[in-house]
Amino acid sequence: MSNRYVYGVVEGDTVEFETEAVAGADRVYTISHRRLGAVVSDIDTTDPEETDEDAQRHDEVLREIMDDDGGTTVVPMQFGMAFESDRELKNVLRGARPAFRRAMNDIDGTVELGLKLVSEADADIDREAIEAAAADRFEPIADQSVTNDLFSDRLVLNRSYLVAEDERETFDEAVADFEADHDDVIVQYTGPFAPYSFVDVKIGAQQ
Amino acid sequence: MFILDDLLLRPFVGIIDALHSIALDELYDMEALEDDLKENQLLYELGERSDEEYRRRKEELEAELETAREVHERLSSGRVEVKR
Repeated sequence: MSNRYVYGVVEGDTVEFETEAVAGADRVYTISHRRLGAVVSDIDTTDPEETDEDAQRHDEVLREIMDDDGGTTVVPMQFGMAFESDRELKNVLRGARPAFRRAMNDIDGTVELGLKLVSEADADIDREAIEAAAADRFEPIADQSVTNDLFSDRLVLNRSYLVAEDERETFDEAVADFEADHDDVIVQYTGPFAPYSFVDVKIGAQQ
Repeated sequence: MFILDDLLLRPFVGIIDALHSIALDELYDMEALEDDLKENQLLYELGERSDEEYRRRKEELEAELETAREVHERLSSGRVEVKR
């Protein structure tokens, strides 16, 4: 178990706790280079297979990091980043330092929330009107938003919103109001997640 | 239209090849299969699909996706020839 699986990168903090981690590990900890730290668990491969269970553990560990010590900003990594050694990982932290710092600035004090609006089966709905109503209601509260893949004909909207922690409650209420006003769509509201969709730092030794 | 265009533009491509290529694309459309997988997950999460049905469909789709991947790999490695 000499390889390191990375969840995300934190600044200035050292995160360490016991949890159900990816690939059966039971502890996550931090490997630091100067003020940047990669939160990792031990793993015996550099090419982990993405099972549903491990993808979920990856998300949950990130959520635990976000809640750690009264709230920690973490630049999340996508599933599957594993490194041969601590040395290799520190080199990456050094090399990508400016990118991490920028990402850290962008997402400091925010969470990602997901919203899917799904039409009822066989319902005849005005998609444009629903999209417009959603934009009016949610965009002013969010710092940023991105659209995700409409992978089903029944999906009217599939977006991720970057929302400041202290606007969370307002956003929750807006979603509840929207749901009450629209009988013809099913609302799937998910999160909070680490803001994957709003950081663009790709690291890796294998690529 | 597609077949017609193809034939007009490239008279050397036989109709069988064109049809074969369309069939392969449709049969092994990885993007569509991935979408179906996500839709299956969504409908399960919304409670419209039972646990059993969700798992069965998921297994089917994953197997189809695996086959599609193999076919695409063979296509790109040139072991199966499709002229377009």
